[in-house]
Amino acid sequence: MSQEVVETEEGLKIRKLVDLRPSTAKEYQDAILNRVDHFSKRRDSVFNDATENIIVKALQIGLQAKVKIDELLGDNKDKIHEIVEKLLFLGL
Amino acid sequence: MYHLDGTDILNEKYYKQTKSVCPECLGKIDAEILEKDGEIWMKKTCPEHGDFKDKISSSAKYYKWTHYAQRDKDGKIEWQFLKNGEANAPDCKSEDPRGCPYNCGLCDEHLSTCSLALIDLTNRCNFNCNFCYANVKKAGYLIEPSLEDLERVMKHFREKAIPAPAIMFTGGEPSVRADFPDICKMAKDLGFKEVIAATNGYGFQRKKGGLEFTKECFEKGLDTLYLQFDGINDETLEKTRGIKNLSKYKERVIQNCREAGLTSVVLVQTVVKGITDLEIGNVIQYAINNIDVVRGIVYQPVSLCGRITVEEMEDIRITNADVIKEVDRQTNGKIGIENAWYPLTTIVELGRIIGYLADVEPVEFTCHPDCGFATYLVVDPDSNEMVPIMDYFDPLKIVDFSNRFWRKIKHKEKEQIKLFENVLGDFGKTLDKGVNWLDKQQLRARFLIGMLQYTKKPGKLMEMFSRMLLNGEWESISAFTHGSLLISSMHFQDAYNMNIERTKRCIVHFGVAMPDGTIFEAPFCTMNTLHRPRIEKLVAKKMTAKVENEFDTAKGERVIDAQEVQDEIHPEVAYNGGTKKGEKKK
Repeated sequence: MSQEVVETEEGLKIRKLVDLRPSTAKEYQDAILNRVDHFSKRRDSVFNDATENIIVKALQIGLQAKVKIDELLGDNKDKIHEIVEKLLFLGL
Repeated sequence: MYHLDGTDILNEKYYKQTKSVCPECLGKIDAEILEKDGEIWMKKTCPEHGDFKDKISSSAKYYKWTHYAQRDKDGKIEWQFLKNGEANAPDCKSEDPRGCPYNCGLCDEHLSTCSLALIDLTNRCNFNCNFCYANVKKAGYLIEPSLEDLERVMKHFREKAIPAPAIMFTGGEPSVRADFPDICKMAKDLGFKEVIAATNGYGFQRKKGGLEFTKECFEKGLDTLYLQFDGINDETLEKTRGIKNLSKYKERVIQNCREAGLTSVVLVQTVVKGITDLEIGNVIQYAINNIDVVRGIVYQPVSLCGRITVEEMEDIRITNADVIKEVDRQTNGKIGIENAWYPLTTIVELGRIIGYLADVEPVEFTCHPDCGFATYLVVDPDSNEMVPIMDYFDPLKIVDFSNRFWRKIKHKEKEQIKLFENVLGDFGKTLDKGVNWLDKQQLRARFLIGMLQYTKKPGKLMEMFSRMLLNGEWESISAFTHGSLLISSMHFQDAYNMNIERTKRCIVHFGVAMPDGTIFEAPFCTMNTLHRPRIEKLVAKKMTAKVENEFDTAKGERVIDAQEVQDEIHPEVAYNGGTKKGEKKK
């Protein structure tokens, strides 16, 4: 990690880090999983709700598909979003 | 900037009238908030003490965006960052004719509920920071509520119609209390979802027993450490805290939290111009390097106490906008002022939708837009680099969609569908319940699809985000925050910059058990600016030599045995005028 030393107005020399990087991305991803594990130990945890787990899985698959479709749509993406929004607000 | 691009709003000079207080006599006076040379200033005049001015924001452009109101074709406000919440019933009569902020608390002028309850557990501290007000040595008296008093205050916050979801124990240094783990347990047992300690790390860093203490607190219900963290350089820490080699002390806190499984530490940096502002970027990098336990950073521009001249004020005043400019500069534009930061109030409608659809209480951040700004950093799954969450999904579109969606459905919160009740009686009621359930499911599907289309990347974080939208449960919110780094800046008010409109919307409230059996509840900024000296005198205990000399504050170390000090404090004696438990109050 790169760093430099800067001098304060009062002459103190302090280290300054000039990067913005995670030391390990894995630890970061693990932090979520550990939290899920922590809650999953409780029987009534939302993470043990089978129906919700299926919905979440379906949403993830939907999101992956949506990201690819967005790429294919290119500049037309915004127009499609507008149409989808109109449908979502229909009847409300 | 955001949805103001292409409009003339940023070219119009900002001007607003409000009420404030005189920094000398603390009397209520008129104030103006106006734009000057690209900055926002407060100007006010006390008939007795003359003119005062103070900088509110160093970026007029950003300030104007956060005060922008979107109007419909008839000029009616459709949406703005200034949100109205639903306040709880007042706790006291408004007897002072001057009104807010003298009638705490809370009085019927308050506009928000309490999202974060604060209790000072003690004013004992192993540090003696020069700018801190809550210190036994400076005060000359001891403040330390008994367990009975603490229970009374906690129940006060939990038993309201809209209860406070989170509690923070402050001080002094709360972890000097031997019964601190039991206090955490009491808070959890009373239903607080998030139990937080605002600490310099004392109890958690001890070489002997620090790890065990951390484990015990965690097991008994402590969720988050709000850890005082001014920088990574010993020189900086010595400058702010007066103690040498403090970085190792802070390191031990982080390590003990890691080993104890307490994986929610928020680094709190007091930002002082020319001293700690140089370390803003360092703190971000330190958080990223310890992402397994650090959940967030809160920058707190220092509040000013005591009398100072305008020139001195200009030298040391630092605003939220200064902080986010520094973040922008010190991260080489990676977390930019132009696109990464949002007022805390941004997510109010999103929270209300989740709360309504999942039948859970929303956390209402209906504070004033000037109170604080926040952003999230997440790991980009493609590059493995930390990036603002804006790269993950389109926040403004999500916010806009949420606002419009809430406008369309909010009437349903109060008006349930009644199709069969009038015709079929009780059986009809059951059928109507089913209809309402189905209605919520179709709304939930619409909302999720709406959110999905403005999401840019899949991954574990988005899985947690969709869980949050689905169930609104604290577990999902907690897991989401464990996959991101919250960066925020909270600027507490002082007598120089106090805007009463901000005060009325405060969501961070102190609670104090009073000798007459009532609870005094006050917004954070008014407590520290106006009420603290008077209230503390009413609940103070006599100081003894052992309490005064308990710590060597030049080293931050204990010098008198904890039990000896505790024995002197007589925890069995309640505050109520020294009345012992079981005795009748006079």
